[in-house]
Amino acid sequence: MTVIAVISPKGGVGKTTVAVNLASAMAENGRVVRLVDMDPQNALRLHLGADPGDVNGLVHQTLQQSSWYYTEYDSAYGVSFIPYGRVSEVERITFEAYLSQTPNWLRDNIAELDHDPAGLTIIDTPPGPSVYVQQVLSIANLVLVVMIPDAGSYATLPAIEGLLDYYCAHRSDFYGSYYVLNQFDAEHPLNRDIKNVMQNTLGERLAPHSIHRDESLSEALAFQQPAANYAPHSQAVDDLAQLAVWLENKVARVAR
Amino acid sequence: MSKVQPEKNPVSSAGAQREDRRSRSREQSRYKFGKLNEYTTAMIEWYGWEHRYWRVVVMLVVLVLFVFSMTVPMSLAVQSVYAATMLVIALFLRRYTGTLFTLVMVVFSVNQSSRYLYWRMTETLVLDNWVDGTFGIILLLAEIYAWMVLLLGYAQTIWPLKRKPEPMPEDTALWPSVDIYITTYDEPLRVVRPTVLAALAIDWPRDRLNIYLLDDGRREEFREFAESVGITHLTRDNNFHAKAGNINAALTKTSGEFVAIFDCDHIPARSFLQMTMGWFLRDSKLGMIQTPHHFLSPDPFERNLGTFRRVPNEGELFYGLIQDGNDLWNATFFCGSCAVTRRSILLEIGGVAVETVTEDAHTALKMHRMGYTTAYISIPQAAGLATESLSAHVGQRIRWARGMAQIFRVDNPLFGKGLSLMQRLCYSNAMLHFFYGLPRIIFLTAPLSYLFFQAHIINAEALIIAAYAIPHLAHANLTNSRMQGAHRHSFWAELYESTLAWYILRPTLVALIDPKFGKFNVTAKGGLVEKEFLDWQIGAPYLIMLVLNIAGLLTGFVRLFWWNSFEAQTVILNLIWTIYNLVLLGATMAVATEAKQVRANHRVNCNQKAMLKLNGGSRVVCRASDYSEGGLGLIMPDAGMAPLHSEVRVSLFMGVREFVFPARVVFARDTVVGIEFEDLSLQQQMDLVQCTLARADAWLDWTDNRVVDRPMKGLQEILFHSMKGYGHLWHYLMKRVGSTRPQGVEDKKPEQDGFYQNISKKITGKGTRETMLHRLSGFMEKGRVVLQKSGNFVRARLVRDRT
Repeated sequence: MTVIAVISPKGGVGKTTVAVNLASAMAENGRVVRLVDMDPQNALRLHLGADPGDVNGLVHQTLQQSSWYYTEYDSAYGVSFIPYGRVSEVERITFEAYLSQTPNWLRDNIAELDHDPAGLTIIDTPPGPSVYVQQVLSIANLVLVVMIPDAGSYATLPAIEGLLDYYCAHRSDFYGSYYVLNQFDAEHPLNRDIKNVMQNTLGERLAPHSIHRDESLSEALAFQQPAANYAPHSQAVDDLAQLAVWLENKVARVAR
Repeated sequence: MSKVQPEKNPVSSAGAQREDRRSRSREQSRYKFGKLNEYTTAMIEWYGWEHRYWRVVVMLVVLVLFVFSMTVPMSLAVQSVYAATMLVIALFLRRYTGTLFTLVMVVFSVNQSSRYLYWRMTETLVLDNWVDGTFGIILLLAEIYAWMVLLLGYAQTIWPLKRKPEPMPEDTALWPSVDIYITTYDEPLRVVRPTVLAALAIDWPRDRLNIYLLDDGRREEFREFAESVGITHLTRDNNFHAKAGNINAALTKTSGEFVAIFDCDHIPARSFLQMTMGWFLRDSKLGMIQTPHHFLSPDPFERNLGTFRRVPNEGELFYGLIQDGNDLWNATFFCGSCAVTRRSILLEIGGVAVETVTEDAHTALKMHRMGYTTAYISIPQAAGLATESLSAHVGQRIRWARGMAQIFRVDNPLFGKGLSLMQRLCYSNAMLHFFYGLPRIIFLTAPLSYLFFQAHIINAEALIIAAYAIPHLAHANLTNSRMQGAHRHSFWAELYESTLAWYILRPTLVALIDPKFGKFNVTAKGGLVEKEFLDWQIGAPYLIMLVLNIAGLLTGFVRLFWWNSFEAQTVILNLIWTIYNLVLLGATMAVATEAKQVRANHRVNCNQKAMLKLNGGSRVVCRASDYSEGGLGLIMPDAGMAPLHSEVRVSLFMGVREFVFPARVVFARDTVVGIEFEDLSLQQQMDLVQCTLARADAWLDWTDNRVVDRPMKGLQEILFHSMKGYGHLWHYLMKRVGSTRPQGVEDKKPEQDGFYQNISKKITGKGTRETMLHRLSGFMEKGRVVLQKSGNFVRARLVRDRT
């Protein structure tokens, strides 16, 4: 089983969208994929057609000392998911305090679940450094950093690299960290320039196919579907499919 | 320096088509294994070849056998058996692959043709009455010419070199400086612009690449354009020696080590220099390297006959085979464009030759005389427009023919210093080839001399003539089909030559007598044919020949049954010949019927990834199926995605690099969408040329729609076009008769299908429904397209509502 962490330095870059659609593309390729939402926004489930009224999630299971087993849902799109859960402020603070005291919480809980040996667990995180990101990075085999092609995102590159160095680089089960540009629009010269600069800085670590800015992605969320189901011919879906293949190759290379 | 990245071609239907074609050609492919191959390998490895003594002995034995089999007289029965045996062996060997078998077939063909000619010269000439004698000698001379050209052709193309590009050194500091000359005289900027933009995109160190626009028209508009894109606009104060003079004048003003020369409408691919320059670094005596002239629009033959990209065109034999054959003998000709020359060598021979109107071939000849080499790389690295109309096409060929005849007179390659025997032969063939005018017309009219005047031009029994002539013709056709099949289909040479024969006859003869007589003419490009019409002027000489042949045919039938019917066999033989001539003449009529040409900008088929950003902000993956200067044809994944007249952004890709262009939807039907670009900036125009016409892999798959040549299929094609030609002739003849009727007499046509009327011929072609629809989209506004599937084809018919 391989754990892929999806992180981003800033909010609003479409990290959750990328995580869900990436998972759906990988499931399309025949992988067993599980999504874990570690973001208090609890938005991941909405991409997969979950009942908006359902409050259940991993926070509740944790606070009730129960297993994640009871909060794993199957979606109609080939991926299963574990939502964060809708929580009150008190619950969240309690939960986060618990996390900082239990550094192995995530590792233990994931280990308890059933696993396909070739399966993938993709974990969505809140933007920027946090207790969630700490725990996720400590166990991730592979990290995908979602960026958008603007100067602000680019400026955070050193911070992200520091984070990765601290939590991941020393681990023997860490395969590497990769970057992908989301909301790319070649029409804007700045987008193209940032892509070039990032390509020069990151080299092979930047995914060759950026994900285009595409309204279909937002529309797909409104219809509570992965974009591949909502708009199969959209460019972003194609980009994500390419990204999925690219990442799977990275995983396969290490596994071999 | 970015590396060339040919894009993969993931569309499944195209892939399936290619696979289909491959498996079909596998069925037809020649044997590569088996006993015969083992024997030949053993023979090739025979130790005797290492010893001069054995080689001489073998050569002598073969020579004696050859001369004997060529000259020994035979009775009708023996000759028939001999001819049949040889033919059967040739038909058998033909199935095997390999140059050795080609060589054997060539020897067979030479033997049979020589035997025929020897027999003709020794036994069939009767000089005792002047009618027979005159006609007989004329025909014999034409046949000797044909025999010579056949032999020279074999020598020239016996073993095409198929030179590969030589890689450039890793260190770009070692790459030499190159000047690119783009020559123009009166062509509109619209034609020149893409060429310049593509030249700017050529992958080469910027500090060692200079682009010059050699404008003999001295136009202000061109100067401004050159300035705006940062290239040099060169003019001179006279127009002496046309293009050659233009280049020579520029040579004094620039200083690059190498000079790449392009006609103003030949759009280079970005890999052009990297594909060609390597050989210069390897061979310091290399003076010139040539690449093919690839045409992205159909020439008049292809357009009027509707054979574009299916049947090899007239020029392809030269660029596909002859130049590659020449390359083996170090006799590659310079073709005036899409070539690189070494400045030092070009200057040493005194610049581009100005003595003749085909300055290019003469320039290469001069290089060869000085002991320098030339090379050819048969990979299309530039593409241009073909001549638009048949008259322009004929004009161009007249110039070539005249120029070649001029060289033959003023600097005959058979004499003078510095050439090897094979170079002399290659050049002679190139020049002799252009004298086909007279022989071709003799062949087209020869049987008439018998049918009308009872001249016994071949004084022999009809059956004996057949026994000698059939093997001669059959072997020549079989061997040529094997050697040239990929680049010229059987019998098409007859059509090409017949159409041009009358027109190059006079210029070649005049140039032969007085090489200075006549004026240089530039071929016009970029015109339009608004309405289909029969070019009576071009067709006139053939109409006359046609009428004569029909008269001959009728006379022949009369003679067969009623009058003078004592030589039935000979009459039949001449009738068959006449019918064959009529077939050829009919096909020339089809060529002379200028098909309608609806677009100023040609559509070029392609198949590459594209992306469409729709008005609402969503982006759709699609494929570009063709491009033209102003627009793009797209195949969408779903119908109705891009509404008509909506503004869109279209992205094209080069590797992972993406270029975005603003555009508007101008056509939308089902999944086919046509867009037109809007207000492209200069940079965008450059980008557009780069990701379309100037792509390194833009012309690599252009022969994909080819059918493998088979001799009988070639004949069938010609027959088909001939029938069409007679159809056209009848139609326009009736129209002419109709138009001369007195006023008030309306020519009422019966309405077809109630309210539909065909306004265009059936447009057939391979492809999916989408591609057909798209190809037809230009016509859509004029009517309704009805598609129907028949076998592997989709047939489309255009109908217009009659209101």
